[in-house]
Amino acid sequence: MKKLFSSVLLKKLLTVAVFCWPAVLFAQDELAPVSRTYAITNVNIIQAPGRKIDMGTVVMKDGLIVSVGKNVSIPADAIVIKADSMYVYAGFIDGLSRVGLTKPKDEERGPRPKDPGNPKPEEAGITPQNDVRVSLNPAEKSIEELRALGFTAAHVVPYGGMMPGNGSIILLSGKSADQMVLVNKSSFYSELSPARGVYPATVMGVMAKYRELYRQASLSRAYENAYASNRAGIQRPATDRVLESLYPVVDKRQPVLFKAERVVDAQRVLTLQNDLGFSLMLAELKEGWDIVNKIKAANAKVFLSLDLPEDKDKKDDKKKDESKKEEGKKDEAKKEEPKKEEAPKTATAEEKAALEKRKAEFMARYVGQAATFQKAGVKFGFSTLSAKSGNIQANLRRMIEAGLPEDAALASLTTAPAEMLGLSDRLGSVDNGKIANLVISDKPYFNEKAKVRYVFVEGTMYKFDVKDSKDSKDGKKNDSGSKDAGVKAEGEWSISTETPNGVEQSKLVIKKEGNTITGTMSGGSINPAVGIDNAKLDGNALTFTFTFNYGGSNITVEVAVKIEGDSFKGTSSVAEYGSFPTEGKRLPK
Amino acid sequence: MKKLITIACLLIAISSMAQQIERGTVLIKNGTVLTITQGVKENTDVLIKDGKISQIGKNLAAPAGAKVIDATGYHVMPGIIDAHSHLALDAVNEATTPVSAMVWEGDDLDPLDIAMYRAIAGGVTISHAMHGSANAIGGQCQTIKHRYGTVDPKVLMMEGAPRTIKFALGENPTRVHGNNGAGIVPNTRMGVEFVIRQAFSEGKEYMESWNKYNASKNQKGFRGAPPKYDLRMETIAAILRGEIIIHCHSYRADEIYMLLKVCKDFGIKRLVFQHVNEGFKVAPELAAQGAMASVFADWWAYKFEVYYSTAYNAAILTRNGVVTSINSDDAELTRHLYHEAAKTQKYGGLTDDEALSLITINPAKQLGIDNRVGSLEVGKDGDVVIFKGHPLSVYTVPAYTIIDGVIKFDREKDADDMRLYVDPKQTIDITDAVFEETLSHNHDECMKNAEFLLNVKFADQNR
Amino acid sequence: MKKIIYLILFVCAGVAAKAQSPKGKYGTFALTNATIETVTKGTINNGTVIISNGKITYVGAATTAPAGAEVIDCKGKWIYPGFIDSGTNLGLSEVGSDQRTIDMNEIGEVIPQMQALTAVNPNSVLIPVTRVNGVTTVLTAPVGSMFPGTAALINLHGYTPDQMYANFKGVVVNFPSTGRRGGFDRRSDEDIKSASEKAMKKLNEVFDRAIQFHKLDSATKGKGVEYYPEMEAMLPVVRGERTILLEVNAAKDILEALTWVKERKLKNVVLTGCREGWRVAGDIAKAGLPVIAGPVLALPSREYDRYDKAYANPGLMKKAGVKVALRTSETENVRNLLFNAGFAAAYGLGREEALKAVTIVPAEIFGVSDKLGSIEVGKTANIVVSDGDPFETKTNIIHVFIDGWQIPMVSRHTQLYDEFLKREPGVNKSQK
Repeated sequence: MKKLFSSVLLKKLLTVAVFCWPAVLFAQDELAPVSRTYAITNVNIIQAPGRKIDMGTVVMKDGLIVSVGKNVSIPADAIVIKADSMYVYAGFIDGLSRVGLTKPKDEERGPRPKDPGNPKPEEAGITPQNDVRVSLNPAEKSIEELRALGFTAAHVVPYGGMMPGNGSIILLSGKSADQMVLVNKSSFYSELSPARGVYPATVMGVMAKYRELYRQASLSRAYENAYASNRAGIQRPATDRVLESLYPVVDKRQPVLFKAERVVDAQRVLTLQNDLGFSLMLAELKEGWDIVNKIKAANAKVFLSLDLPEDKDKKDDKKKDESKKEEGKKDEAKKEEPKKEEAPKTATAEEKAALEKRKAEFMARYVGQAATFQKAGVKFGFSTLSAKSGNIQANLRRMIEAGLPEDAALASLTTAPAEMLGLSDRLGSVDNGKIANLVISDKPYFNEKAKVRYVFVEGTMYKFDVKDSKDSKDGKKNDSGSKDAGVKAEGEWSISTETPNGVEQSKLVIKKEGNTITGTMSGGSINPAVGIDNAKLDGNALTFTFTFNYGGSNITVEVAVKIEGDSFKGTSSVAEYGSFPTEGKRLPK
Repeated sequence: MKKLITIACLLIAISSMAQQIERGTVLIKNGTVLTITQGVKENTDVLIKDGKISQIGKNLAAPAGAKVIDATGYHVMPGIIDAHSHLALDAVNEATTPVSAMVWEGDDLDPLDIAMYRAIAGGVTISHAMHGSANAIGGQCQTIKHRYGTVDPKVLMMEGAPRTIKFALGENPTRVHGNNGAGIVPNTRMGVEFVIRQAFSEGKEYMESWNKYNASKNQKGFRGAPPKYDLRMETIAAILRGEIIIHCHSYRADEIYMLLKVCKDFGIKRLVFQHVNEGFKVAPELAAQGAMASVFADWWAYKFEVYYSTAYNAAILTRNGVVTSINSDDAELTRHLYHEAAKTQKYGGLTDDEALSLITINPAKQLGIDNRVGSLEVGKDGDVVIFKGHPLSVYTVPAYTIIDGVIKFDREKDADDMRLYVDPKQTIDITDAVFEETLSHNHDECMKNAEFLLNVKFADQNR
Repeated sequence: MKKIIYLILFVCAGVAAKAQSPKGKYGTFALTNATIETVTKGTINNGTVIISNGKITYVGAATTAPAGAEVIDCKGKWIYPGFIDSGTNLGLSEVGSDQRTIDMNEIGEVIPQMQALTAVNPNSVLIPVTRVNGVTTVLTAPVGSMFPGTAALINLHGYTPDQMYANFKGVVVNFPSTGRRGGFDRRSDEDIKSASEKAMKKLNEVFDRAIQFHKLDSATKGKGVEYYPEMEAMLPVVRGERTILLEVNAAKDILEALTWVKERKLKNVVLTGCREGWRVAGDIAKAGLPVIAGPVLALPSREYDRYDKAYANPGLMKKAGVKVALRTSETENVRNLLFNAGFAAAYGLGREEALKAVTIVPAEIFGVSDKLGSIEVGKTANIVVSDGDPFETKTNIIHVFIDGWQIPMVSRHTQLYDEFLKREPGVNKSQK
């Protein structure tokens, strides 16, 4: 009990602390563009899968696409972007993720609940009334990461248990949660996640509770209707935040968006749908290859996960192959390789080979899931909920290599999700009148060497400075070699962090002895100065934490920045509150 | 037009469903056929056509497309039925409440469980996938056919099998919910009785209030509110209506007798006791009320309430006229139920037919599926196991297992790796040290998923 | 009339009770007309075994018994040496879930001085249940930490541990596992690695220290060493006078254990468990270490293993040239030893080798083959008489002799059977 209390207290204090960080330095807002009209010229326009205009122009005004074509006149107030020979696509749509949401810290387990069979809905993970806008944070780094890949819209859902709340479709740009939301309460988000220590603590419990709530909602909906039509002489129906949230589902006005990664989970969801009859969107599916027809028959909309199992062996093999090759060159006399191959196969080796073969078969099924759906004629979108943003492009290419046509991959990122989410009139293609969500890459998007150069979200431009491939190659080499030596972390830095309530300005002093990094933070709210902990320099990436006292509470901040010469950029994170952009400049000696 | 599409969709759904239950045709030639209910037939053929036994006799002709198994020198018997199992389940206990009648193991099936294949290799074709014993009234169970190979949990469910539910008496529910657990009733065997009587009484009220509402809601001018829908009470009401068979985890004679009385008071007739280690002490009472018993062959002394047990339990129950089966409650034990049944010949001298009934027709009766399975008779399901050697001999080896006329296990052709899904991320180093800890029996498989609620750690979890 | 029947019943009951005297009987017994599977000297048909003063005094075809001998006609019966379970916790635990009745897991990581024999409860209800099924001798072992204590071989008859002791002790060592303990083991790969390295270091430290202790003790003839009970218990181990029972199961661990044994030049090691022994059977055979395998009635160790690997494991190891004894790892159901042997026999070990694996092989492994493990003149009279093949499930054991004592064929299980087969009163208390 004591622990629970103190964690709540801490949270409150923390909130106070962050909002009270004084704005010592006046943050200069990013300079506004001089015009909201843009013209992208001389660009290959892929309006939609199969519709292409070579070397055309796209004009955007006030967040909308106003003209697309070969001979388009460029308005006088347009900022012209010469996207010579680049490729423009409709911005991608993510079918399920939590991009932009701050993950709540796992709550400490309190004392054993008194009657674990009858918890409050909130304790049981039943919070269908939740609105994603409450926890949407435009400053979250995840938005930037996903946008840099070309995603411009996402179906985001709250954190929680079996019924976490309403999903919303957001644009990956905006200054406030409300501004970001394109369609609110677009879905009733559900998971088969059990509660901890209280009912429903198992999957079967979740299924039972789901049925019960759904049927209760249907009955209470009917009764409320009866009551509304004639109130005299019958009992007032009680309000119920859970059941009321289910009414749009019961009325089939709101689809249920259900996360189901494994093949068994997906079928459990289909069972529920079959029993209750709601309209279903199945998302983050990873093992759907055996149930394509079942999904088809259930008329469910489906979003396949962009997360794929990592092919560790292949990576290792490549490395091995390379090193072997080099060895071979160096020392031809050794000839270890052929010897190994000729060695008599032991039972263990045979067994291992058989197991590896099965493993490879299954890797192919995971990677080929999208192609399987495509061949079966099932329309699908993609979701990124459990995918690492760094893997998404590569995973798309793996799916394409496994037989997914590029057009189909593009459709699943654009037109298909737009249609499934009921947004075809606004999103999904490069056409007049649609929201100006665009992604521009220097090579066709699915090309291994393609780099995203611009992303537009509702007409707001995001430019990505990409050194040409030669440079970046050199850069990579340098990362592990000579460049490392060039990074100088030690010294005195001014460090500023943008918080929702202004900019926090402090001083960072770094000392380096051998490989050990120490240092102090001081100034601003950090008074007196405190030492930094867990400091690490990896290439040009500097990470450390510091803990300072505010109003009797200790607040720990995690800092991760990349040093470029005499400046650094990155984030500072405070648990439960989120991460904020951080910048630093070396102080003159 | 729209209707047409809906119908078309429905048809697709139904046909894809029907397709998934695979039914085969197989002729088993010249075996020693142990029919269980109609004696032993030497040098006899069994023909399974489209999943059903269509003929038992001599010199039967194989229909076109039939697989033929030469069973000369082999013993042919009905597929073994395990009336107490937790295989192919993700979770066993919804241990958060003493009455969890709303949950159902059918929601929880895991068709990928390798334990199912291992059971098939031991001749088990049907098992009763049970909720655990954490609660006085546990969750609903599901009778499954071991149609290993499907990924569809619905295909595993035995079509037409009656609903069943788990109850539990004694140490398990009292330690989960009582003073060593959540600190609520039941803490004693008195409390267990009360919890059950209370649930039955409330269920009765619930049923009556709905009956009343349903009877009046269509009357002109009726404007009342419906009673609150309660899935837990829906299930209890179905028990009271006789639609669900109770399978009750129990050990001590007194608690067994208690539930007999409670069921008598509420007019409940379909009652099977599980484990029922001291069932032999109240065998006359069990027989008098028509209650059945599903026991271990020889497990005892793993907890105090089974300290006064005897391996002669099955024999005493059988001799007293109680329909008795031998179950496993364990992924290992289920693989040699034929051996467990044979132990009743050592402990009590049961005949071959009596011993084999314990794992075939008797568990079928307890699950309410004896019209479909449990013996080799024309018209019954084509669930057959073929042994090399008499199934009651310690040296016997199951050679084939057939379910719905489909050969699911063939020892000669058995592959090493029978997993349905393979984790592509798994590092394979077969001489590494990652392996399953299944060294010894866990006598408390029934308590899976309930441990988190327990303050006390039990020694048998470490064994 | 009724009264007379009552009287007859009463008398019968009295007679029955007398016949079932719970006391053992000592003396000279002649078991005649039997089929004798001596294990080491072939099978004798229509033979006689004579037991006198605790020893086997005659095995052969003679038809006459010595004067004063109690003659037991074993026509149609089979005679075997008492069966040995090479790994149990019998006597150390009474009720599995009740820690108060369990004495096999002492506190401490290195406690070889803990003596299982001390804690054996000669009056455990579990013991009669076990021996009436033909198991006369078991190794009972402590469990838990890396050096959980010293196991002892006991005969299942006697009123003090010393009366039961069967002249073998072995120090149990749980070889550090390099692997995950199963799905529930959520440690990271690094954690597992560092834990197993740490454990290995500890294991070596114990042995290094024990060798130091031995040198010091030898140099000072036992006078220069301080009280150090752990090392005292390790002394006979490093001197090669006491067996190390090295528990190891996963294939990789077995290989590491073999290397460790070789590097340390240990001569007195028996591997126990060896669930994945079949995977590295050739290596075990090459190392020449005997194995106590089991339980046979177990699941395969990996999801992708063939379903019958645990059944086949003893046979596969034997085929590779490993000396294999069997164990149940049981407490209350040690009585299922012969069924474990039967399954091993059916799945590749063969009946003859399975029989040896529960008789002469363990006797040899434990260094007591001069007393136990076969029917030979001069050996301890641990004798089992059955009405058929003792591995067959339905076979009944008719007589058991332990140390020459004729054991009453009574246990809790038989007593409850006798009382409840026809319970009186039945449903109605006023009627019979």
